[in-house]
Amino acid sequence: MQREETMASRKLTLVGGIVAALALSTTAGSALAQGFDWKAHKGETITFLANNNPVASAILKHQDEFTALTGIKLKVDSYQEQQMRQRLLTVLNARSDEVDVFMTLPSREGRQYAAAGWYTDLTPFVKDSVSSDYDFDGLGKALVDAARFDGILTGLPLNIEGPVLYYRTDIFKKCNVEPPKTIADIQSAAQTIKKCDSSITPFASRGLKPALPYTFSNFLHNMGGEYMKDGKSNLCSPEGKAALQAYANLLKDYGPPGVVNYSFYQLTSLYRAGRSAMSFQSSNEFPSVMEGGARLKDTAIVPLPKGDGGSVPTTIGWALTISAFSDHKDAAWYFLQWATSPKMQAELALEGIAPPRQSVSQDPQYKAWLEEQPLRQQWQKTLDELAKTGTSEVGFPIVENPESREYIGQAVDQILLGEADVDTACKAADEALDGLIARQ
Amino acid sequence: MQTSKGQLGALGAPAVLFTVAMIAFPVAYTLYLSFEAFSSTGTTRFIGAGNYTRMVNDESFWNGVVITFYLYILSLVLQLFFGTALALLMFRAKRLPGFVRSLFISPFMLPPVVAGMMWLVILDPSLGAANYILTSLGLPPSEWLASPQWVVPTLALIDTWQWSPYVALIVLGGLQSLPPSVYEAAEIDGASGWKRLWRITLPLLLPTLVTAMVLRSVDLLRFFDLIYITTQGGPANASLTLNIYGFRTGFEFFQLGYASALMVTLSVIVLGVTLALNRLRHIVAW
Repeated sequence: MQREETMASRKLTLVGGIVAALALSTTAGSALAQGFDWKAHKGETITFLANNNPVASAILKHQDEFTALTGIKLKVDSYQEQQMRQRLLTVLNARSDEVDVFMTLPSREGRQYAAAGWYTDLTPFVKDSVSSDYDFDGLGKALVDAARFDGILTGLPLNIEGPVLYYRTDIFKKCNVEPPKTIADIQSAAQTIKKCDSSITPFASRGLKPALPYTFSNFLHNMGGEYMKDGKSNLCSPEGKAALQAYANLLKDYGPPGVVNYSFYQLTSLYRAGRSAMSFQSSNEFPSVMEGGARLKDTAIVPLPKGDGGSVPTTIGWALTISAFSDHKDAAWYFLQWATSPKMQAELALEGIAPPRQSVSQDPQYKAWLEEQPLRQQWQKTLDELAKTGTSEVGFPIVENPESREYIGQAVDQILLGEADVDTACKAADEALDGLIARQ
Repeated sequence: MQTSKGQLGALGAPAVLFTVAMIAFPVAYTLYLSFEAFSSTGTTRFIGAGNYTRMVNDESFWNGVVITFYLYILSLVLQLFFGTALALLMFRAKRLPGFVRSLFISPFMLPPVVAGMMWLVILDPSLGAANYILTSLGLPPSEWLASPQWVVPTLALIDTWQWSPYVALIVLGGLQSLPPSVYEAAEIDGASGWKRLWRITLPLLLPTLVTAMVLRSVDLLRFFDLIYITTQGGPANASLTLNIYGFRTGFEFFQLGYASALMVTLSVIVLGVTLALNRLRHIVAW
């Protein structure tokens, strides 16, 4: 499955809920004091098309508070990620007003939906219609910029995430391996671990064709590669080939059997069961990976070690947006503002939704949550690094980004399955991708 | 009070019109879309047979045709074989307890998504039960759905596990309607059990088997849910059937025109196979 963003949710405590309600009431109070009226759209109903993932689940636990605060009724249509996109495609293609607010991944469909005119430009809203406590500038700049296409602000970030390296400190110690500092170190560590303990999978990451560009992109960028150069596909550049070779060979030589079908679900199961020594996968999987507590004491988390081109992590996030065809844009904006407010994001953070605001990571409650486990601090530190230095480029920066991922995945899988060498695979991918670029 | 034919027709017309519209509109609309090109920004333009000519030169399309038929034929043969065997077993063992019969037919009652998830876990090459059993028996483990060579046979086996009981129920109905006089005559002539099976039962069952073939063919040529849950057409393109290819082209890559052309083509294939099998049904009728 192509889900890039999954996370097991933590139960929100009753105290947390009460605090949130009080906090939002306070927000409302101070906003009202400055002329912003949370009740301005009382009585309206908006429809929210949600991806049934932990981010949406965490928000929707508080939906009654939103209605209490604004008087706006929220109608929720919740689907799995793929089905949500099918529904969106049907609704937006028909220019229907059935959906007011939806979740979107700017790194994937942002350019495409923006070109189709399916997003409402949020720029006027963030300028003219904000509560004084909202702090738009507090949202991670990189994520806000990643949701801006041709000057149009298409969405507001809900979370921050990216692929990170989870590795087993106990196995590294047992096999006398130093923590990897470069991609080449990962290869040598995997080789040593394979010899030292044959029952452990040395390295695992995504192999499923449509899902793997999420993890592969980090390899490409760390190797100094870029997807496009001078308007042409650039996978056959020396850096591109090095990245393809490094990623595919790691999976081929040190990955689990059947890795070609691996996505987040298999990676998490394998690592949690103690069967892989290194797992390069989504930061969102942290709560799932740690479920049961078996991996809490023997895991370390770091960004992908640098390659020849340095360290350029992949950093993306889900965003909340308003349909261009909504008849309730103002009421929808209130929902966006509420869901991405500092107070609400502090609540979500306590459920393991990595906050897209720097201020939230300084929130006392969140800090206390992090301090409960040293590994949570490592996780947050890694995410801070991703926020500072990451790029949201997953796949080609073209309107047909989703289709471009297909050819990237195909090239990696061909090498991984031994169906082609790196030259043949990258050449076929470049040809297909040049055709795709030309079609724009 | 007598009701005229005209009155009856008027009463039934809305329902008939509604049904026709529900069938005709989607078909006509898909046909219309298949002559359009969709840009990724959502605009459309008429391109005549452009989508169909593109199909001729599209490697993925031909790959899809081959995989669709490979999966179809393999699954159909396996399901007819095991379905008939299961039906004969249930027919002979008349005293089979009810719960055993229910157990036999239970797989096809499972939603395909549940079946898909279940087999995904069982066949996981690292953590699944299937490889555990194989290695416990001293056999080499398999990559199952992750192997380009084995993915289609594995999918066919899963589908066979799920749908053979359905075929068995159809065949069982056929067995129960066979004329006893033929068997009595064969017994008097001293025909052995095997001879009765090969010379009487199976030939007489042919019309029933062809009916089962028609019913399974429609589903098998449109094979979708299990692949969607387990492999999404992979590894590489080894299980990319026409249906999955069309779905991904339309809903993931936004090319609704080309996807419609692919689906129209698939519909023609399904219709063609169904008509051919229908003809066969007339030939084997007795």
